[in-house]
Amino acid sequence: MENGNSSGDNKSSRKPIRCKAAVSRKAGEPLVMEEIMVAPPQPYEVRIRIICTALCHSDVTFWKLQVPPACFPRILGHEAIGVVESVGENVKEVVEGDTVLPTFMPDCGECVDCKSQKSNLCSKFPFKVSPWMPRYENSSRFTDLNGQTLFHFLNVSSFSEYTVLDVANIVKIDSSIPPSRACLLSCGVSTGVGAAWETAKVEQGSTVVIFGLGSIGLAVAEGARLCGASRIIGVDINPAKFQVGQNFGITEFVNSMTCEKKSVSEVINEMTGGGADYCFECVGSSSLVQEAYACCRQGWGKTITLGVDKPGSQICLDSFDVLHHGKILMGSLFGGLKAKTHIPLLLKRYLSNELELDKFVTHEMKFEEINDAFQLLLEGKCIRCVLWMG
Amino acid sequence: MDNTSFSSNEGKPIRCKAAICRKAGEALVIEDIHVDPPQPYEVRIKILCTSLCHTDLTFWKLDFGPISRFPRILGHEAVGVVESIGENVVGFKQGDVVLPVFHPYCEECKDCKSSKTNWCERYAEDFISNTRRYGMASRFKDSSGEVIHHFLFVSSFSEYTVVDIAHLVKISPEIPVDKAALLSCGVSTGIGAAWKVANVEEGSTVAVFGLGAVGLAVAEGARLRGAAKIIGIDTNPDKFELGKKFGFTDFINPTLCGEKKVSEVVKEMTKGGVDYSFECVGLASLLNEAFISTRTGTGKTVMLGMEKHAAPISLGSFDLLRGRNICGSLFGGLKSKLDIPILVDHYLKKELNLDSFITHELNFKEINKAFALLEEGKSLRCILWMDK
Repeated sequence: MENGNSSGDNKSSRKPIRCKAAVSRKAGEPLVMEEIMVAPPQPYEVRIRIICTALCHSDVTFWKLQVPPACFPRILGHEAIGVVESVGENVKEVVEGDTVLPTFMPDCGECVDCKSQKSNLCSKFPFKVSPWMPRYENSSRFTDLNGQTLFHFLNVSSFSEYTVLDVANIVKIDSSIPPSRACLLSCGVSTGVGAAWETAKVEQGSTVVIFGLGSIGLAVAEGARLCGASRIIGVDINPAKFQVGQNFGITEFVNSMTCEKKSVSEVINEMTGGGADYCFECVGSSSLVQEAYACCRQGWGKTITLGVDKPGSQICLDSFDVLHHGKILMGSLFGGLKAKTHIPLLLKRYLSNELELDKFVTHEMKFEEINDAFQLLLEGKCIRCVLWMG
Repeated sequence: MDNTSFSSNEGKPIRCKAAICRKAGEALVIEDIHVDPPQPYEVRIKILCTSLCHTDLTFWKLDFGPISRFPRILGHEAVGVVESIGENVVGFKQGDVVLPVFHPYCEECKDCKSSKTNWCERYAEDFISNTRRYGMASRFKDSSGEVIHHFLFVSSFSEYTVVDIAHLVKISPEIPVDKAALLSCGVSTGIGAAWKVANVEEGSTVAVFGLGAVGLAVAEGARLRGAAKIIGIDTNPDKFELGKKFGFTDFINPTLCGEKKVSEVVKEMTKGGVDYSFECVGLASLLNEAFISTRTGTGKTVMLGMEKHAAPISLGSFDLLRGRNICGSLFGGLKSKLDIPILVDHYLKKELNLDSFITHELNFKEINKAFALLEEGKSLRCILWMDK
């Protein structure tokens, strides 16, 4: 099936590519490894060949979900690293052969928000979990071999040997960085480190509490460690996380299942003599956000939510508590980071041995073993499982 | 300025007039009372004038809960002169012009020493006791010897009151006293919220929900910082004309928005939402509107109003995740002894407009009229003069 679309451009590859992808066809069911067609990039788009991709909990969330914005059949995956295979018209930022990180958070560089120092939420491409490419209405670059449209995911769709990205969703990086480390910065590690560093602005000597020791929570710990926090308390229901957490700078552990008659926030208020300077919620549960708020210190305590809860979920707080105690509640996406500005900075810190990425990768597998990776994550047995394309 | 000789009463109770609230929601009664001399760390002050704040109204009507007690002397926004000081009082002497402030600043605890907050971990949690250091002990008795309760550690609806030093600020005698009184609560709260809590910068866009004294003070604070757009939201259209004096550039009347929510109107007016929103009414549902009126990625919401029914606040998780920020604040984040003198200075340099807040002046004996005016939404600040 060919629909070579040469529009006067001198790039060689403007034809659809046939390649392997792991297609999610039904909620909660194993992904199907199949051949698909990836259309050439439109203006302002690039087509990339994925080198490796890692599994993030958000992929699992939208894999399991049976209601919108979940949709099927879909190509999930959003944490990856790739090489530019071809570029569409008007693409100046990268050329064929460049190494790029896809980023689900758009950074168009032109709108008032991208130009502002304070915001990382592009208003040209407002963040949403869309089935489509961001710039063209109801437009997909994927079809299966029956010609059926396959939906995109978070502007990335990295569970495929090839994918198409908008220029707003790519960051060009140094090709010498080990791919299985660099890919982590395209989502999870950046989110956690950014949350500590950019959103919360954790100061030296602070006390930090992290609810949920998955990759995001551990990345927050790494960020807090880099910021000089003196106490980093990890809260989780899985005691195995404490051992793991120690490598990430976690100084104390609270198992919320074994607090007996006390609530977690009571335990933490006791441990910290009145509450922590910063509490991070990295699970995606509004009731846990409330718990976190209850154990951040009055006066200057900040509670930061990073976890994504079900659509429509509400955080309920006592109005007296909010008015009187001066605590701040904040949320951020992607750790408040601007992809094109901050990812290169994080990579620099990795190269200068400040930011540690190796400890996040607990498994490396072949792309075809993706369903095993899902299982590992569901069972809480991995941090980051990196899948290498053939 | 008053020039009564004070020395005759030092160490003795003073007999004077006070407006007593004997039953929730009933007219205050002007009676003779006795005011005991100040204990260690306390100061007895002669009130020059006092103004009515909405919080007085709320607690006047409240007949349940730990803070509800009768008989009681309400009032917490005022200016006075020091009549006598208790032992261990440093920094105040007879004749000093002072503002009593409901929010404590002990200067010694971890919070008071930090520039990040105006919370006082030593005192701020207790807003119920009669006196700061002596629990339910009261300095007031009525003419039959019955104890009268204090209110918010100030109790300014009385010719004399006794205030802890953690609740007292010495100010310059140059500022007209009626303007000074405004800085002991409402106006400071609003300006502080804009300057210290939100830190409104030049060119920002701001939305203020509720155009009472606090809301108007927020606008004044935002105006002085150079905010480009200050949107006022109120159901009473009379507030709009008044609001123009305080720097409001636009108004929204929620009752005239039809099917649209106020937040939608705000977002349309500002191409996506304001940088800062302030809730100055005290309604959980309005706080949520204020919250989603802000721009994703940077929006900050400050809660200043006290929820009238202690209703819980409910915020959408997705709305929060999109880079928004919310906090509450008492007294606009100000540390009374440090920040009020700065505001006084701004007024004396003609940078701060306080005059427009005063819409009525009455004699103290007409206090119930002042309550009626505020309830009916007809006044902003009504100054009650003790001696006129």
